[in-house]
Parts: sequence; structure tokens; C-alpha cells
Amino acid sequence: MKVRIAPTVFFAVFGCVSFAAAQNLNSKARVEAFAKLPDWSGMWEPDIFVGQADGQQFSEEALRKMKARAESMHPSFTPEYQAKYEAIRKSIEAAIAADPLHPPATHQPLCGSPPFPATFTPGMFQWRVTPEETTFISTVGAVRHIYTDGRSHPPKDLLWPTLMGDSIGHWEGDTLVVDTIATKQRLYVGELTGFFMPMSDQLHFTERIRMVNHDAIQIDYTVEDPVALAKPIHAVYTQTRVTDFDRMLEEADCEENERDPIVNGRFTTVTH
Amino acid sequence: MKRSVPALTVVIALSIASSALAHHSRAMFDQTKQVILVGTVKEFQWTNPHCWIQVLVPDPQNPQAEPVEWGVEMGAPVELMRKGWKPGSLNPGDKVTIIVNPLRDGQPGGLVVSVTGPDGKIIGHPAAPGSRAP
Repeated sequence: MKVRIAPTVFFAVFGCVSFAAAQNLNSKARVEAFAKLPDWSGMWEPDIFVGQADGQQFSEEALRKMKARAESMHPSFTPEYQAKYEAIRKSIEAAIAADPLHPPATHQPLCGSPPFPATFTPGMFQWRVTPEETTFISTVGAVRHIYTDGRSHPPKDLLWPTLMGDSIGHWEGDTLVVDTIATKQRLYVGELTGFFMPMSDQLHFTERIRMVNHDAIQIDYTVEDPVALAKPIHAVYTQTRVTDFDRMLEEADCEENERDPIVNGRFTTVTH
Repeated sequence: MKRSVPALTVVIALSIASSALAHHSRAMFDQTKQVILVGTVKEFQWTNPHCWIQVLVPDPQNPQAEPVEWGVEMGAPVELMRKGWKPGSLNPGDKVTIIVNPLRDGQPGGLVVSVTGPDGKIIGHPAAPGSRAP
């Protein structure tokens, strides 16, 4: 027996479904906003990581770039923070001299998200650009949310130091301009064994991020801290397009097989 | 207990050590030295945060002696995949030649520079020109 559906019932059901589907579509305004945004899809990595050996030893070219970058970024501290810096530096030098075979653990192993701006260094990255926010995702677990919906930073009584801090941004043409505050109050200093230098609660980052060509995203960033820094630090990071891999696989699961534990404040290696 | 190092040790002057932010410091490895290990794979650990090869290395001067087990460290699986490695690239019993930057403290361990597999070919893509890989 054929079942006949009354036209009124058919249109009532179909109409509701169509209306619901329409509700889920991007609005015309959002589609137009998307169309004005640059396409940063794909995967990216720090330019210094290209051509590593199996143990992730750096290439000569990468070492040259790192050295030049470290020199250009060396902080000029205020007298109060210069004294703090010298004290930390001397304690690390003493620790190295006391046992040159086992490096002092000047920071915890990076398992999970490294704190901003160290997010730029290890792993591979993706940028998700939407009208409301740009999201930065790394294979070592870092996720940054850069809000571009016109909001301001939250009021001071609703802010406290977090790994990524609070980032707001806006577009100037194809350049994403980002303002970041409320990060952990420390800055990675890439010398000796590398350590995180304490900074003040006025630590403030400004980034100008742009795809300079199809295969490179450039992050021009400035660090300011009127309490800790005598003058701002300016640095440029370049990320190159990953062309030999198409999946984001996590790589910071230290619980799986951590064989470089910290023992008595020093990195050690378990050979068996 | 410290074990003796029964491998051919080649000392090569290399450039400055790096202190780029990574999962952990690499300063425990002496990157001015390379040690060539000729042995048999006991285990290949395809794991985060780093892959490891356990390799049994006989003493060429005393072949009757018990081989020394070395534990040698590599990058994360995702980084090795990009270099052409696979989870099954090595299996127990494989004859390999591994070049490592050795541990400074004399333990039988190191940071892998390259691995030559049973077919006599280097596993994965070679590192970029000018890198520390041979």
C-alpha cells in the first residue's frame, strides 16, 4: 500500500529542516569577512629546523642563524634586573663547573605547551585564520588564541599570568598585529644551557605577522618591559612551509618514554 | 657501574654547541665527538618524546666477550617520519652501523647522527648539506 504524505505535512517538515540548515550557514557578512583574510593554511616550521640529523642536531646554517638571532635579541636590562641576570648566570656557570658532564636543568623538560613566546621554537605549526580569532597550534601542544573580534584585554582584576597570556589582534591589510599581556613573567635567554629570566608584570609583546611569500610567514616581534628592560627587544622569526608532511602529530608525550629525567637538578640519560 | 666503550671512537672537531630551546638540554652529549657503533639491534623504541635504539655492540678487540648494550637517542617519531623513517625501519636482530655523539659521562649512550641499516644504506633522508651528519 502506498503511503501518501499530505503536501502540507511535507512542506512543514522540509521547511523546518531548510530553515534549521540555513541557521547553521555562515552569514553573508561572515563569508565576506573570511574572503578578506589571508590564506595561511598548510603546515609551518621554524626555518632553523630544516635539515636536522636523526638526533635533531642542527645544521651549520641553522647554528649561524641561531647565533645571530641570539646576539640581536640579547636583552639590555635595567640595573635591578641586570643584577638578577648576573646572579643567575653565575649560579649556572658554577653548576656547570661543578659537574661539566651533566648539564644543570635550568628549565623543566618541555612536555606539553612551552610558554609564549617559546611557542615559536619547537615543532611544526598550523595557523587557523577566522574572522573572530586566529589560532596557532603546535605539535608540542601549544595553542594560542588571538582574538580579532574587536575585544579589549580583560580588566586587570580578571588577568593573571598564564602560559599564553591574553592576546588580541587586528588586521592591517594582510598583516596580523597582535598585542599580548599577562604571560608568565619570564623570558627565555638562549645562552649557557638556556634559562628563563624572570621579568616584571609589565612584560608586553607586540607582533606583526605576515605571509611574506607562499612559503614563508614572518613574525616581527617586540618585547617591552619598562621595569626589567632598559630598551625593547626586537626580533624576527621566520616560519617556512612544510612540504614533506601533511599531518599534525603530537610529539610531547613525555609520559610515554622519558629517558632524560632530571636527577638532583641535572639532566641525565637512562641508557637501558 | 660505568662500562667501557668498546667502539671505534673518531674525534672530529665540530662547531659550537647549540642552546636552542628544545625538549631538554643536549649538553650531556659531546657534539665535538662521533662514535661509530657496529652491532645488532636489540630493540627499536618508536616513542615520544624521543625514539631510542638499544643496540648490542661487541668489542672488536675481544669478540668472545659479552656485547655492551648502548642506548642511543633520536628525535621524536614525527620528526623521524619526515626524515623517511617508519616505525618498522629497524627490527630486533638487524645488523646496523650507528654514528652517535656520545654521552660526556662515559655511559654507553649517545645522540644519533645517522644509522646504516642491514642493506648497507643510510636509513631516511640524509641531513642537509653542511649539517653535522656525515
